Amino acid sequence: MTKEEVIEVIKRNIVENLDDVEADSIDATKSMKEYGANSLDMIEVVSTSMRELNIKIPRSELAELGNIDELADKFMEYINKG
Amino acid sequence: MNEEENRPVRWNLDDNGVAELIMCDRERNNLFTDSFIDAFLGALSEIEKERPICLLISGLPDVFSGGADKETLLDLCDGKIVVKDLEISERLVAAPFPIVSAMQGHAVGGGLVIGLCSDVMVLARESRYGAVFMNLGFTPGMGTTELLPMAFGPFIASEMMLGGRMFRGSELAERGVPVNAIVPKADVYRRARRIALQIADKPVDSVYLLKYTLSSEKRKRLIDARRNEDLMHRITFPMPETRRRISEQYNE
Repeated sequence: MTKEEVIEVIKRNIVENLDDVEADSIDATKSMKEYGANSLDMIEVVSTSMRELNIKIPRSELAELGNIDELADKFMEYINKG
Repeated sequence: MNEEENRPVRWNLDDNGVAELIMCDRERNNLFTDSFIDAFLGALSEIEKERPICLLISGLPDVFSGGADKETLLDLCDGKIVVKDLEISERLVAAPFPIVSAMQGHAVGGGLVIGLCSDVMVLARESRYGAVFMNLGFTPGMGTTELLPMAFGPFIASEMMLGGRMFRGSELAERGVPVNAIVPKADVYRRARRIALQIADKPVDSVYLLKYTLSSEKRKRLIDARRNEDLMHRITFPMPETRRRISEQYNE
């Protein structure tokens, strides 16, 4: 799986979890907060995406991530670990 | 900050006969810590003495309540009996006055139960509501297994309890969850207060009588729920996976 595909998964889950956000308008260099996500919205987006990608990442490793792109990098790290 | 501002729960009574209980523990996000529960139950006792016509419960703008705290859950894993949070649902369901919950912020686990024990529930489109007990490995408590299906409908309740997903208010509205209102966050308090004032317009004795009658089903269901939930807790709290999940979940 490529990083672009991972970003697509995250974007799709953002659209499904937030009101009035379209996938095309999401910029991966930004934080989900900029699209109106609150803390529990972010937890839902991240946990649904992880389930879809079949990975499990401890919360402590996710806490310091600043934007969607960094989240995708973290996901890739675990996808490659297999 | 003075002592007044530090209190996790505050209350007041207005001239209309509406008492307000405000959960305002900013530091711990209205989690059910020991001191929070004492303050909550203490406020409830004081309010009962005043015989208000109606009680309006509200929380912080972002968090209504997050339910049990880590220490309490780990105590339960260790087999220590903690009955305090159970007392919250029992006391609310048995309250002599109607309760309106203005749930502007997120309400999770026991926090959601406060709403379920109310007579009127107003939710925010932007906030999330969840019965997340199973995410932590243990089965739902505080009466959730009976009160949630009764309030939200059996299928949504099953999805919330088994899947542990926190639903956005807007999604609950789309699914037709039959609470009193699911409105933009900014309107929640006003809407809830309007309903409380309509109730407060009636004679207090009539309101108390009707409340007692209307709540009889909930009181019965809570007793049933407690029996099953206590049994399930005796099995699910001692499981090593429960302890692991609780420790991980709260690991900031």
